[in-house]
Amino acid sequence: VKRVAGAFADWLDNRTGFRWLRHHALDEPLPAGTGWWFTLGSILLFGLSVQVLTGIALALYYAPTPDHAWDSVRFITTSVRGGAFLRGLHHWGASVVVVAAVIHLIRVVAFGSYQKPREVNWIVDLLLLLVILGFGLTGYLLPWDQRAYWATVVAINISKLTPGGGEFVATLLRGGADIGALTLTRWYALHVLVLPAVLVTLVVAHLYLMRRHGISGPVTPKAGPSQLFFPHQAARDLTMAVVVGVLMAVLAWKGAPALEPPADPTASDYVPRPEWYFLGLFQLLKYFPGRWEIVGAMVIPGVVMAFLALLPWLDRGRTREARRRLAVLMPFTGGLVLIVTLTVLGARDSAPANVARWNVRELAGASLIQTSERCVRCHRPDGLARPIEAGRIAQPAAWLAAHVDDPEVIAAGIRPAPVGTGTAQAESKAILAALSRLRSGPPPVVDADTTKAHVLVARFCLNCHIIDGVGGKDGPELSHVGVRLSAALMEQRILDPTSVKPDAEMPSFADKITAEDIRAIAGWLAQRK
Amino acid sequence: MASHDSDRRNTLAKLVIGGMSLIGAGLAGLIGAVATPRAEGKTVRWKRAASIFDLPPNVPYAAVLADRHADGWYETRKETVIYLDREGDGYRALSATCSHLGCRVSWDDSTKHFHCPCHGGVYDRDGKVIAGPPPAPLTRVAVRVNKDTSDLEVEL
Repeated sequence: VKRVAGAFADWLDNRTGFRWLRHHALDEPLPAGTGWWFTLGSILLFGLSVQVLTGIALALYYAPTPDHAWDSVRFITTSVRGGAFLRGLHHWGASVVVVAAVIHLIRVVAFGSYQKPREVNWIVDLLLLLVILGFGLTGYLLPWDQRAYWATVVAINISKLTPGGGEFVATLLRGGADIGALTLTRWYALHVLVLPAVLVTLVVAHLYLMRRHGISGPVTPKAGPSQLFFPHQAARDLTMAVVVGVLMAVLAWKGAPALEPPADPTASDYVPRPEWYFLGLFQLLKYFPGRWEIVGAMVIPGVVMAFLALLPWLDRGRTREARRRLAVLMPFTGGLVLIVTLTVLGARDSAPANVARWNVRELAGASLIQTSERCVRCHRPDGLARPIEAGRIAQPAAWLAAHVDDPEVIAAGIRPAPVGTGTAQAESKAILAALSRLRSGPPPVVDADTTKAHVLVARFCLNCHIIDGVGGKDGPELSHVGVRLSAALMEQRILDPTSVKPDAEMPSFADKITAEDIRAIAGWLAQRK
Repeated sequence: MASHDSDRRNTLAKLVIGGMSLIGAGLAGLIGAVATPRAEGKTVRWKRAASIFDLPPNVPYAAVLADRHADGWYETRKETVIYLDREGDGYRALSATCSHLGCRVSWDDSTKHFHCPCHGGVYDRDGKVIAGPPPAPLTRVAVRVNKDTSDLEVEL
């Protein structure tokens, strides 16, 4: 068998010359003292490979349309075998790649590896960094959730500052006058076709140039015989790849951060924050008001990139030793410290969590969605429509309003909604309030008696009274009515207002609500303090 | 003879390079043309935003206007948020889109200001910039009262 395999290998080598290629690729002589610092490029290559493979796996399931993007990502995380882990790997892998690229860049600067004759490879290195950030930017529009949408709004508006034709650049990025379906397909094409092609070209160019000049090696050349890449340096590379791979797996174990609610251009309570590696830029934008905006968005990042690109020509000394290159290393370190500071500041200005509590109308609506006949007739596990879930409400407000009033309506305004009773209208308001609130998260858990009281209050009291900022203005506010009135007194007032206060405008509810329900309302109101 | 040959070679080389350049330029032009979106004609019309009776006395009212909107191959609704407010005897309509980078501002009743959630822009009730990075006030939208229906209509 061995002889046959050997003969086959001889034949293949004769036809392809693969032994020369193998020798060329693996038996690269490295300067003595090449060590762990020179595994960073391989770590980056490993991270990029993971991104390519996980990206291909995600593309098997992902659909780049506004109707389906969010759902397909959700499908990947909930229904695909290993899908949550896969998405986690791709998400955290992006961060690992950014970190590896930056550390690699710092190493190149610290060791002076960009010096003559490696200037061109240094430029390729910087372009690779930009491509990697481009992947991050185009990648996080794809889930089409709130974060994706608003991060893209900001990114495209920044592009409008491009000198000479900013509006044209923005139109190209949007694929039209507005952010929508054509933006998503466009950014998808950039993310999975254009940028990978550029990436592969740059990586090949980088490796070719690295081999052409050989690696720069330790700052002070060490005496000793040179070392072959394989297996010595390859073993270090593999070790680091395993370490980084384990790190990625640990990060990805719990999956990527949960999807936010689907993209909603009208959401006013959403506070957008970018991915961490753009937080520095995000923070910088805050410092340049009005027409100085372009300084933070374009000039400073441009100057930083220009400084980096010119390093090989600014630093033409004959030495790679750090202490003789302080004129270059000081500003570089200063810039680095500044970027880290800005990122930390940006991270500390995290979105204030939406602390506002659910008001009684929203709570009542959340309960009605689960119980009222007009919702659960269709929205139940085995029903005609899927159950209503937090974070999953994507229909526009006008459509929802028409649909809640008249569940059979499929096009808002196509026919007048049936005129409901006052109670039905109060319930509609509550359901709509809850639907709007459910976009951002599930309701708090409340016991059955309290839930019943919420529904009754929303049905009968909020038409005239304000509680927690919602309701009508005909009657006095009841947010803290428990301070003034006892449960028994309120029960009496609801049954027969004039018996307590002869000139009361409030109608009697004795014939509208059962005595038991009135007691429940009064009991709940009495706890409002 | 040799120089004649090399002339032919040079000419042929120029032809090949020229031909390849033409093909490349043609393909690049095609992709460029396809990738550049068509300019859309902008139609301006008056849309009902709210009834004058919807406006609360002391708070700008956020009206959500839905409009038919072509989004690629979708026929969707585009929702625009406009803040309606009284101004003297008349009315004022402000776009809720921050002039900085396009996030959605909202009215904060505790400070009586519009706040942008993204980069900290703050506007007063007229839409004037008070703090933060916005380069211009909130865009004023033309507004009129329809006398027949008591509706406020804005120009979109």
